[in-house]
Amino acid sequence: MVANSSNPQANNISLQPREWGFLGSFTAMASPCEVLMALDDQHIAEQMLQLAFQEAKRIEQKFSRFIEGNLIWHVNHANGVAKPIDAETVHLLQFAQQCYQLSDGAFDISACPLMSLWRFDGKHSVPKHIDITGAIEHVGLSQMTLSDSHVYLPSGMSIDLGGIGKEYAVDKTAQMIAKQWPDHSVLVNFGGDIACPITKSDGWQVGIENPQQLDNAAALLTIRQGALATSGTTRRYIEVEGKRYGHIINPKTGYPVEQAPLSVTVLAPNCVMAGMLATMSMLKGSDAEAFLQQQGVDFNVFRG
Amino acid sequence: MQLTSTQSIASALALASCSLIGQTQAAETVPANDDWKVDAAIMYYGEQDRVQAVEAIGNVQKAFGDSSLLDLKIVVDSLTGASASGAVAQAQSQTFTRPSGKGEYTVKAGDTPLDDTFHDTRVQLSANWQEILNQDWTTNVGMYASKEFDYLSMGLNAGIERSFNKNNTTIALSGAFTNDVVDPVGGRPVALAEMVFSADYNSDAEYQAAFDQTRLNGDDTKQTTDVMIGVTQILNRNWLMQANYGLSSVSGYMTDPYKILSEVDLNGLTQGYRYENRPDSRLKHSVFLMTKGALDSGVVDFSYRYSTDDWDITSHTLETHYRYYFSPSFYGQLHLRYYQQQAAEFYQPFLMVGDALPEYASADYRIGDMTAYTIGLKFGQRLSGGHEMTYRLEYYQQNPDNNGTEIPGQLQNYDLFPSVKAIVAQVSYSF
Amino acid sequence: MSNVLYKPLIKTVLALAIASSLLGCSSLGVQPWEKDQFAREDMALSSEKLDLALDDHIYFSKEGTSGGRSLAGGGCGCN
Repeated sequence: MVANSSNPQANNISLQPREWGFLGSFTAMASPCEVLMALDDQHIAEQMLQLAFQEAKRIEQKFSRFIEGNLIWHVNHANGVAKPIDAETVHLLQFAQQCYQLSDGAFDISACPLMSLWRFDGKHSVPKHIDITGAIEHVGLSQMTLSDSHVYLPSGMSIDLGGIGKEYAVDKTAQMIAKQWPDHSVLVNFGGDIACPITKSDGWQVGIENPQQLDNAAALLTIRQGALATSGTTRRYIEVEGKRYGHIINPKTGYPVEQAPLSVTVLAPNCVMAGMLATMSMLKGSDAEAFLQQQGVDFNVFRG
Repeated sequence: MQLTSTQSIASALALASCSLIGQTQAAETVPANDDWKVDAAIMYYGEQDRVQAVEAIGNVQKAFGDSSLLDLKIVVDSLTGASASGAVAQAQSQTFTRPSGKGEYTVKAGDTPLDDTFHDTRVQLSANWQEILNQDWTTNVGMYASKEFDYLSMGLNAGIERSFNKNNTTIALSGAFTNDVVDPVGGRPVALAEMVFSADYNSDAEYQAAFDQTRLNGDDTKQTTDVMIGVTQILNRNWLMQANYGLSSVSGYMTDPYKILSEVDLNGLTQGYRYENRPDSRLKHSVFLMTKGALDSGVVDFSYRYSTDDWDITSHTLETHYRYYFSPSFYGQLHLRYYQQQAAEFYQPFLMVGDALPEYASADYRIGDMTAYTIGLKFGQRLSGGHEMTYRLEYYQQNPDNNGTEIPGQLQNYDLFPSVKAIVAQVSYSF
Repeated sequence: MSNVLYKPLIKTVLALAIASSLLGCSSLGVQPWEKDQFAREDMALSSEKLDLALDDHIYFSKEGTSGGRSLAGGGCGCN
């Protein structure tokens, strides 16, 4: 297919039989993605995998901040002009607004100017304070105006749906598979964000990484139905003079949240909710566990 | 939307995320037309050689917004066939004066006397209004009326519910008052009056005068006050339980005007018949416990009811329903019920000639010692658009027992406590 | 003949999902979003109310005790 730019080779699509069914995998959104399918029919497994791959790619193409010319690029380069957006984007932005309000401004998709100062590329450097205060002026989702069809951002502001997009893709994919094949248990795992839309009677075993011993599952949990998402400094941090700065930035101060856990994993009915609770708890720093306990959800917190 | 309670963040996120990803599962449980819900059923109840009844029932629910619900119900039933009069079987055929005083009917030797007089049609209407006041409080009020040829019942009811503990606990208090008017065919019998027979009189006028002596003029009434308090508790993700305590106070005419007792001698020979008489007040208590669970492919409930009253009738009821979905749109359901009751203190299967007449006496097996069981099967087919069709077939058997009365003479030759076997068949349609 | 006074649980669940509960500390029970099973129509206490009403009427007219599940409500001449 000429029109389809995604090269299967580059995306590493594969389907492998397993004793419990099929394991499909591919790469999207800069993450390893998996679809675990408890079924015998290879034909259905192929269809499910294709659906998952296409949905993940669609959402990545549409909402990634790094793809020039896509919808988000146009919004971020509007220079103070209201931009028309479609219903799906309206819903995502509405959700981001709700999360901004619920977290008292701690979760902010407009924090990109700050995020770009803090480059977690392994170089041991902390941005200058004056740069941080300068960046904060262009941060604050309350300045975004959203209607049913348009979004307006003041000039100099930009948004990044990276904090929601992957979880959203997981839920969307899981939902589409469940709708088309309601009788099969499937686990959708995009880079550690997981959803199981249909109850699996004996559950799926999911391992949670210990951030200090990567690639070794430190905790195993069984999930029959629902979703799980992880937020953490697992692979992205900078260390300056023995102080580890995680990639969770408090958009109000401009600095990384202190005493934030290394990682937080939350179980919830859907992945978007799990991811948001995990992120919000990270932003609570030392109060992460207390916050999650108050929410009454199951969770797992790793601290250094 | 600025919420201060951190607890509510999870709830708000649950709602916001569901609307974001548009959970289709949640959408599917909402009926296509959620303002109206109509249930209709027709049921046949048939006892072997005895009562046959057909009952049609229609129920309409209409929601007004999210907080108001109107529920209207109409029931029409028609009853024919014979029921046990309370008299005992004899070696000779027996003749009884009909309750109206007009005419007689004869029961063959050895048969349990059944009175086949009854042909009645009943119409019942009820209306209920439920109002959700806020997140915690719900109230309801209702009216009820039932009319048959010799009986009129009218009532009012009201209830209030309070939810606690994130709606995991609900406490409900409800009350009802019912006023019944009884106007039996042929008038109310005088308590324990002897049945008269036209053959014993020289003229119709003399007979009629004697019959009238056994009757009271006019109608009588009965008042029932019910109070119930109930707790419903969600135990975990799949199970809930309910516990109810009910108190019911009845005063007024509770005698069955069509029931009689045989008066027998020491050889068990019937010398005459007397009309029954029951106390004019009754205080009933009931405790009902139920648990209901959601299974992967079905639903199950178990319940137990204990009931006791100052007539000394005590009963235990165990009941279960188990539903299994063969497919998302087709289920089968098993219903089992076991009932056991202990007789009223004034229940006696017959009177003895020569004994002093008690103040109250009834030979109605329904307030005697008894066990009963039900086995039922139901199948439900979910159709498109939220419609559902169900079929139900049940077998109900009552096994009355002797409450310890010594059976004299020839009466020992007969089954004074015959079983009653009935079939229930029902078809329902909901949309 | 019996007035089923218990509102359908599905309504409760809907009302609850809309209004976030401010009540804390529960020993028994589940979180609002864990009530999916109770939102099932077959889990409502009134889910088979027609059958239950018809059963109540049969047992009311054939047995010495009645009610318990809900208010026995109105009477009839059948007992």
